[in-house]
Amino acid sequence: MKLQNMFKKTSQRAHYIALRNSRPEVPEGLLRKCNKCGAAIIAEDVKNGYYICPKCHGYFRVHAYRRVEMLADEGSFEEWDKEMDFVNPLDFKGYEDKINALKERTRLNEAVVTGKITINGNPAVIGVCDGRFLMASMGWIVGEKITRAVERATAEKLPVIIFTCSGGARMQEGIVSLMQMEKTSAALKRHSDAGQLYISVLTDPTTGGVTASFAMLGDIILAEPKALIGFAGPRVIEQTIGQKLPKGFQRSEFLLDHGFVDRIVEREELKDVLTQILSAHSEKGFKDHELKAAAGSFEKAQQDESLSAWDRVQLSRKKDRPVGTDYINALFTDFMEFHGDRYFKDDHAIVGGIARFHGMPVTVIAQAKGKTTKENLDRNFSMPSPDGYRKALRLMKQAEKFGRPVICFVDTPGAFCGLEAEERGQAEAIARNLFELSGLKVPVLSVVIGEGGSGGALAMAVADEVWMLENSIYSVLSPEGFASILWKDSKRASEAAEVMKLTAGDLKKLGIVEQVIAEPEDFTDENMEPVCVELEVQIMDFIERYEKLGAEELVEKRYQRFRRM
Amino acid sequence: MIGKVLIANRGEIAVRIIRACREMGIETVAVYSEADREALHTQLADEAICIGPAPSSESYLNMQNIISATLVSGADAIHPGFGFLSENSRFAELCEQCNITFIGPDSEVIRKLGNKSEARNTMMNAGVPVIPGSKDPIYDAEEGAKIAAEIGYPVIVKAALGGGGKGMRVAETPEEFENSFKTAQKEAQMAFGDNTMYIEHFVQHPRHIEFQIMADKHGNVIHLGERDCSIQRNHQKMIEESPSIALTPELREKMGEAAVKAAKAAHYTNAGTIEFLLEKNGNFYFMEMNTRIQVEHPVTEWVTGIDLVKEQIRIADGRPLSYKQEDVHITGHAIECRINAENPEKNFRPSPGTITDMYLPGGKGVRIDSAIYSGYTVPPYYDSMLAKLIVHAKNRSEAIRKMRSALGEVIIEGIDTNVDYQYEILNHPDFISGNIDIEFIAQMSENSENGE
Repeated sequence: MKLQNMFKKTSQRAHYIALRNSRPEVPEGLLRKCNKCGAAIIAEDVKNGYYICPKCHGYFRVHAYRRVEMLADEGSFEEWDKEMDFVNPLDFKGYEDKINALKERTRLNEAVVTGKITINGNPAVIGVCDGRFLMASMGWIVGEKITRAVERATAEKLPVIIFTCSGGARMQEGIVSLMQMEKTSAALKRHSDAGQLYISVLTDPTTGGVTASFAMLGDIILAEPKALIGFAGPRVIEQTIGQKLPKGFQRSEFLLDHGFVDRIVEREELKDVLTQILSAHSEKGFKDHELKAAAGSFEKAQQDESLSAWDRVQLSRKKDRPVGTDYINALFTDFMEFHGDRYFKDDHAIVGGIARFHGMPVTVIAQAKGKTTKENLDRNFSMPSPDGYRKALRLMKQAEKFGRPVICFVDTPGAFCGLEAEERGQAEAIARNLFELSGLKVPVLSVVIGEGGSGGALAMAVADEVWMLENSIYSVLSPEGFASILWKDSKRASEAAEVMKLTAGDLKKLGIVEQVIAEPEDFTDENMEPVCVELEVQIMDFIERYEKLGAEELVEKRYQRFRRM
Repeated sequence: MIGKVLIANRGEIAVRIIRACREMGIETVAVYSEADREALHTQLADEAICIGPAPSSESYLNMQNIISATLVSGADAIHPGFGFLSENSRFAELCEQCNITFIGPDSEVIRKLGNKSEARNTMMNAGVPVIPGSKDPIYDAEEGAKIAAEIGYPVIVKAALGGGGKGMRVAETPEEFENSFKTAQKEAQMAFGDNTMYIEHFVQHPRHIEFQIMADKHGNVIHLGERDCSIQRNHQKMIEESPSIALTPELREKMGEAAVKAAKAAHYTNAGTIEFLLEKNGNFYFMEMNTRIQVEHPVTEWVTGIDLVKEQIRIADGRPLSYKQEDVHITGHAIECRINAENPEKNFRPSPGTITDMYLPGGKGVRIDSAIYSGYTVPPYYDSMLAKLIVHAKNRSEAIRKMRSALGEVIIEGIDTNVDYQYEILNHPDFISGNIDIEFIAQMSENSENGE
């Protein structure tokens, strides 16, 4: 039965005379319209909800002081250089009036607010750009305030956090505006050389001269979701090349994919993430020496002597064998993944970031096989591209700057063999890692957990010590490759495996590796606890032994290790 | 003056409100979700506005869209019905800010009564009995025993961080107390790593008795007698009746006075309900106040002859109550059964789908409030209540017979319903004799599982 237009409607209207002198209406400012999804939203919900649309989760731009409020511990904000005298280097007509009008309207003195705050107790120098002020374009005052803030942070040994948002250079200030790019960058270089931390947080939109200077110089670069980030604006690019730009071009996610952003952070989580980063850079040493399990609480697995080399090759490749991320999760806490090589791409075959080992901040990098086919496709079966090695190197250099030990997990069939890999310099990337790692001034440990495939493995195994799990392998190339080169028959791989001396036991005898960690039978992520307990004990011991050494002694010792090979 | 009402609800209550408005000569605006295009309330109202997709969070709970619909349609008032936004103080506040008459109490009153501890304090200060309990945390048994004696046995010891029955023990007598307290505290320490305890009077096998309140904006407050809603499953009411067989005229007067006192203390306006737990010995305790029209309001309407929804609209319009307390007389006995689209044999699993055929009873003293029709498809997104069957007769036993007769005529084909289950309850000797409490359904299903 359909009911459309079946019922009689209210016919006899009450003869009320409208006595109300006011009709229902929405008072000014109660509701607003989301400029992204168009939905009507309650202004107060937006204000109490990090300025995010409750409907489409789109981000609204945040005023500078609100941003400070969102991050700073109550009452901790101390503003610097609030009053700056107006400058008009080009005597640009009407500029002063425009600035005065903006000051009035925004109650800001310029497009950036700087000062000192604490975030959950961690002190930091902060700079926040405000897009309401001439699209936060960078003129002399913006450049000067940022430079002064950075200089003071360097002097006071404080980390710097800058929230970027800008249309680029301040046209009214011409070439003087351009010079702010070099000035701010130079100040950040000194800050960095003094061993101090700089975090940039890219918000919508960050373009032009700001992107091409302080925005892209963070030790760690965070971005808000879907923010427009680029050098030239999309409209300019479209006009220049006469093409339509793809969807998502120049958005945070695009930059993450292309290796320029460490991490995209939701606004709700920003304070926690910054806290975690700041404390990981200010705290040193172990917080506790308590091991997860007392020695001997797990029966130490016995090395199985009966397996052939070929058996071990197959075990090292077994699908359900624990992968790099399993070890990261089991051995460390507070792991924060950082992405990108800052050149071209974020290679998913390598996972790296900062974590804590018994409270001590460490840099952890793993060649990461996937657990499913889908994940393996995403991770390219743990065959790193040059971008992956460059990401690893970037993270290691950062570890060096901040004095963190580096722990690598090696598990790769080999460096990715393909057109793009060669185009971007696979060999150069591997060579560069060998070169740089040999002189890294912090302890480096590499653990081969599965396949140690040739140069692809070596690029992450130039270390103070290299350890191997019992059934992992490490070789100049795969037994299949060996057999086909020497004997023109890849089917003789099992034979090749025996003569190649690629098992952990063989390599220990050869003095290539320092330690072999026994595995339980049918090793999977379900029964990896005894292995992790053993690794935990050994890693603790490793760090204690190597942390004691001075940088020079450490590097010399490592050099002598290579000289023995 | 209210000339046009937007009904921010669906189902039978939306239909009920539309009918009341139509009788009063007030125009009606229905709002509906994309899943409710064919719904009765959508078709019945003078106008209907779609407010969003099927999930209630995007439609019937979407405050901004409902406010927009009100402004667009030119309605001057919103009736929120029950459920959805009816007890949302934020929504009531929005209406106030937009100069829309919210047919219910003020937002501030909703907020205060929605806060359990604030409501409890208000009632305590007004002298309305609440379940006695310790004010401060208790850590040792000796101190606890003193407080338990003040509260009165039986008592229940509860962990401050409790949940899932852990860290909870009943002590029937002072002799049992020490043991109960220590066991509960030990359990709490094990389960939550905290041994902070509270003690409360243990209300054993109570009835759920609620009083209907009406309050206008001129300070007049009356009660319209009680409803006995002890027949409930997992806190979901199934059968409600008025008056309650458990109340003597004296007790009714005493509880009614407490209810009026409670409403006055809360500065309440419009229709509201004070829920009490009633012990066998006649002690009663305030549980909470519902700040909306209730599902079971028809039983009160029938025994008092007052149209609660119309009265709600009049009160919201600023008019004084049409009745004084002495005008309210309880006549006869009314029972309501909720008919739900659910399968009692499959743990009351909801049963949405298309109603292929149906027949609903009528006759003297039989009322159906529903929003279903033959060919209607019950959407899976909302509450499973299909209809309310209400009967009225001169006394309880006649009302039970009438209900049985009416239930026996209900035919709803195409989906599963709980009609047979309700029929079973109506034939249960304990129900017939009025020997019921809030554990009735739980015990009935336990007994049937044991094959009794």
